[in-house]
Formats: sequence, C-alpha cells, structure tokens
Amino acid sequence: MGGERLKIILSLTPPLLIIITLFFGGIFYGFLQSLGYQPAIGKYDINFSAYYNVMFSERYSKLFWTGLGLNLWVSFASTFLAAVFALFGALAIRKTFFAKTVCNFIYSLNLPMPHLVVAVGMIFVFSQSGLLARFASQLGLINSPGDFPVLVRDKYGFGIILAYIWKEAAFFFIILMSVLQSLGENFEELAQSLGANRWQRFRYVILPLVMPNLFSASIIVFAFSFGAYEVPALLGVIYPQMLPVMAFEFFLNPDLNARSEGMALSIIIALIVMILVVFYFWLTQAKIRKD
Amino acid sequence: MSDLKIIKLVKNFVGMDRPAVNNVNLKINSGELVAFLGPSGCGKTTILKMITGLFAPDNGDIVLDNKSLLPIPTEKRGVVMVFQNYLLFPYMNVNENVGFALKMKGIDKNVIEKKVREMLDLVKLPDIGFRRPKQLSGGQQQRVALARALIASPRLLLLDEPLSNLDAHLRDEMRDLIVTIQKELNVTTIFVTHDQEEAVLLADKIALIFDGELQNYTSPKNYYEQPKNIKAAKFFGGVNFIKSKKINNEFISDIGKINYVGENINDLNDEINITVRPENIKLSKTNDFDHNSFKGNIKSIIFSGTHTRYKIIINNLELECSLQSLGIKNINQGDEIFVHLPKDKIWGMND
Repeated sequence: MGGERLKIILSLTPPLLIIITLFFGGIFYGFLQSLGYQPAIGKYDINFSAYYNVMFSERYSKLFWTGLGLNLWVSFASTFLAAVFALFGALAIRKTFFAKTVCNFIYSLNLPMPHLVVAVGMIFVFSQSGLLARFASQLGLINSPGDFPVLVRDKYGFGIILAYIWKEAAFFFIILMSVLQSLGENFEELAQSLGANRWQRFRYVILPLVMPNLFSASIIVFAFSFGAYEVPALLGVIYPQMLPVMAFEFFLNPDLNARSEGMALSIIIALIVMILVVFYFWLTQAKIRKD
Repeated sequence: MSDLKIIKLVKNFVGMDRPAVNNVNLKINSGELVAFLGPSGCGKTTILKMITGLFAPDNGDIVLDNKSLLPIPTEKRGVVMVFQNYLLFPYMNVNENVGFALKMKGIDKNVIEKKVREMLDLVKLPDIGFRRPKQLSGGQQQRVALARALIASPRLLLLDEPLSNLDAHLRDEMRDLIVTIQKELNVTTIFVTHDQEEAVLLADKIALIFDGELQNYTSPKNYYEQPKNIKAAKFFGGVNFIKSKKINNEFISDIGKINYVGENINDLNDEINITVRPENIKLSKTNDFDHNSFKGNIKSIIFSGTHTRYKIIINNLELECSLQSLGIKNINQGDEIFVHLPKDKIWGMND
C-alpha cells in the first residue's frame, strides 16, 4: 500500500514540479517583490511598505482608492449589464429559429475577437471623432462631432463598460442559450397553466432556473474585467485610472523601486478577485448543503 | 359545471405530412374522467396543449361552459396541466411548489399555508412540506404535482401520462388516488395515456386517437364488446376477425353462416368484419351448441398461468380462444374441436 502510494507520488512529481514552478513560482516571486525583496537592486528587507504606500501614502492613496472605486464600478456595471442584455436577448430569440441562428453566428464571431480589437472598434464608433459622432453631425442632430457626448476615454469608464458589454454579452449569451435549450419550455408552460403571467414566469421560473449558471459566468466575467489591462489602457483616462493600468505603469517605471508598488497592487487585485471567488463558492456550497 | 366541447379541431406542424390533429370532435360532461388513448405521436398531447392554450389550433374551437377558450390566454383559462415528468420547481420546497398557483394570484400568505396543508393532506403527504423535490420518491413527486394543480381549483384538470414514470406498485396506488380525488372534487379531468389497461381502469370514457384522428369515443366496456372498427378492436386486444357478407339479412363467411343479432345490424354494410373476443369463444369436443358452431382443429396451445390460449384453424381461418386453465377439459394439439361463437358476444364492424 505504502509502496503504491510512493509510486504515485514519484510519477506525479515531475509534472507537478513544472506546474508549481511555472505558475506558483511567478506568483510567489511577485509576492516577494511586493514585500520589497528585490536582490537585483540590493533590497533584501521584507516589509509591507509597498502596500502601505499604495493604499495610504499621500502620493498614491487618492489614486488607489479612486482607481479601486472605478474598477468595482466598471466590473460590476459591465458584468451586470452584459448579463442582462444576454439574458433578454436569449429569451427574445430562443424560439425563433432564424434569429437564433443569426445571433449564434454573430456572437460566435465575437467570442474569438481580441479585447484589444474591440477597444479600438469602440474608439472608431463611439469617440468624438468616431462614426456615430460624424453621422449625428451629418444628420444635423449635433452642430459638430465635438458636441457628441464623451463616451470613450471618459472619467466614468463608459467606454470601458461598453467594450466589456459588447465582448462579454456574447459569452453570457452562449452559456444562457445552452442552459435555456436544455431546460426546454415545460417549466414555463406549467407555470403558465398555473396562472403565472409573463412577468411572473420570468421572475419565479426562468430567473431561478438560469441563475446558478448566470452567477458562475458572472464571477468569471467579473474576475476578468477586474484584472484586465488592455481595454482600460486604451479606453480609460489618466485620472481616475483603473488598478491594472496603474499597476502596469508602476511596473514600467524606470525607477526599479516602484516595481514593489506595482506588484503590491497586482497582489491586491488578485486578492480581491480571490475573495469574491471564495465568497461565491461559500454561497454555492451553502446552497448545496441547504438542498 | 365544466362541460368541454372540442369542435372540428385541426392542428398542423411544419414538416409533418399529415395533420397532427385532424377534425377531432368530442364532448366531455362536467365531472367526467376521460382518457385520450393512442400510440406515441398520435396527437393526444397536442390536443391537451391546445386545450391549455399552449398551442393554437389551425381550425376548430374549444368550448368550456359554452364559452370559447381560444381568445383566453393560458394563464386565465382555469385549465391546469400536470406534466408527465412532474416538473416540480427544483429551487422550491414542497410547500412553495404546491402554493405556486395561489402565490401567482397574490393570495395572502396565511391563506396559502392553510390551503397547502389541505392539499398535502388530500394527496396523503402531510409531513413533507419542507423537503426539496430531489428528496422525494417518484410517487411523492407525482402527488405533489397533483396537489399543486388541484390547489388552483381548476375548471379542467389535464394529466399527461400521469402514471408512466411510476413502477407497477406505485402505479396502482396513484391510480386509486387519482380516481378518489377526482370523484371527491368532481373536477372534469382528461388524462393522456398510451396504455389501454390504464385507460380502462381509470376512465369513464375513452377517446381513442390514431394518426391525429379520433377513432372512437365511448365507455371502456364498449371498446371490448362493441368496437367501432378493426383498429379500435386490435388496440384493445382483439385478434379474431371474420370477413362476412350480408346476404338477405344473413352473414356468410369462409367458416359458414353466422347468426348475428348485434344492435347495429341495420347500420352494417354488405361487407363487414365480425369480431369476437378470445375469452368469449367456447370449445367442445362434441357439438353441444345450437348456433354458430364450427368444426376446426387445434393448431397450438399456450399455457399462461390462469388462462390457456388455443389457436384453432377453421377452413384456413385462424381464431384464438382463451379459456380458464382451471378445470380445463382434455384438449390437445391437433384435436378436432367444435368452436362456438355466441351470437350475443359477436360484433360486426364496417371498417
């Protein structure tokens, strides 16, 4: 028995070592850097001053807290709105064969599109020099393209939210379509025969049935949008700045001392996402136990 | 009062080469328990869904208490359907499932709780209100589904294959419960089944449907004794069909002249099929009968416990006879035998 176990451990060790070194090694080294350990520039002390600097120093605290606020706003708003659009879209077209085929095709095309391309597309369409602004100006709806509302590179992150909605709604849509198709229409028909009107069928039947899948997908989308860099870098403003952009700028700073702050910020981002994921698993486990 | 009239009902589906439901007419009286019987795909569930309003008919009308149901949306028809696979909401407990219809009506919570308790008592499940559906057996789920439908006080209750997912023991129990509750509440009920035994045991009347068309609509007893056509007779286990010609009020067949006194004698065409159930045929080694007695040979004997089935050849026509095994006379394969078709037990059909 003991020999068998040793054999299994020995055979698993090489691949596990590679995974641990490549994955956790990087995170661990980043964590060490966030604690100020940077042998390359002669820093060997372990402390939390980078975390303190980022969150509470006069220089960075305002930037950090407004950035965190913007991050939470953008991630929550884009995740929620993408889920809502996808849900209503999926409900609207699931019974129409033609619309379903067309939408599936469009969304399937959207899925492999890089976020960077979508962000550039947003600039082309929604910026003050973009297609919509020029079109509105040509139609006489606004005096000049400059009168078009600031939707891209705005301090409220509307452009970023729009880009994420466009991109992530496709992900939600594909998940929801598969859930709705597997559920069929029997539950709704039953509720209807029991007297439920359209709103009640949505509120008391469809929503509870799709919620577990929608919630799981939301966690994935939220975690991604919370930690992603390229869309906020392209569509965001200098202040307030989303945390991943701020972290990257710390990292690019020619002063290598700033790297600890960049790593501290990255670890904070990862921690927030992990807390949310743990909270999600706690919620689902509690529900399973309750069931 | 919940009289239902189905008038010339037609439903087509894209891709089908025949109507799913074709010109179906029938009337169900208040408080009756009616079975829609037929093989899979014959259109019985489609009719049920048109009654609930989940499908719109292409033609015809559905009238409940002298008022057409067609302009009324499903949720306001007062027609409740219990689906084949129960469909208890998995995220609700039993109390919440049963109280669903009342909650949709915005009824007070305390009233709902009281009614839910009454319904669970009615289906003999008083102590499971806080369980989740997956903690229930198939039989319990079926009872909860029934309670959930009945709490809505439906004008018409529709049951789609209510017993098909249950094992034999639970099926008997559930069958009794459905009949008892249906009679107690006097709710007009239609149930769909492909099992003729189930239909016979439960229903006051059976609507037999093949390929979207209503073949016959009558009491279970009549399907055995007076089937409308060969299809209906075969569905209820009929195996003996004798082609006959009506000549001067006499019926001449390949096995000889048949004395017929059926009440439909004047409605019969010149060429008919006469049927007799295997259990109504009598056998004797001697010619003891004063009419419809034909000499044949025993082709095969199959013992099946309480009954024994005999296949008899008379002038190239094969008839099947079923006799109680107990006290059977000494009849062997190849024996010459006299077969008696009692004139009050044979039935003539035009189709």
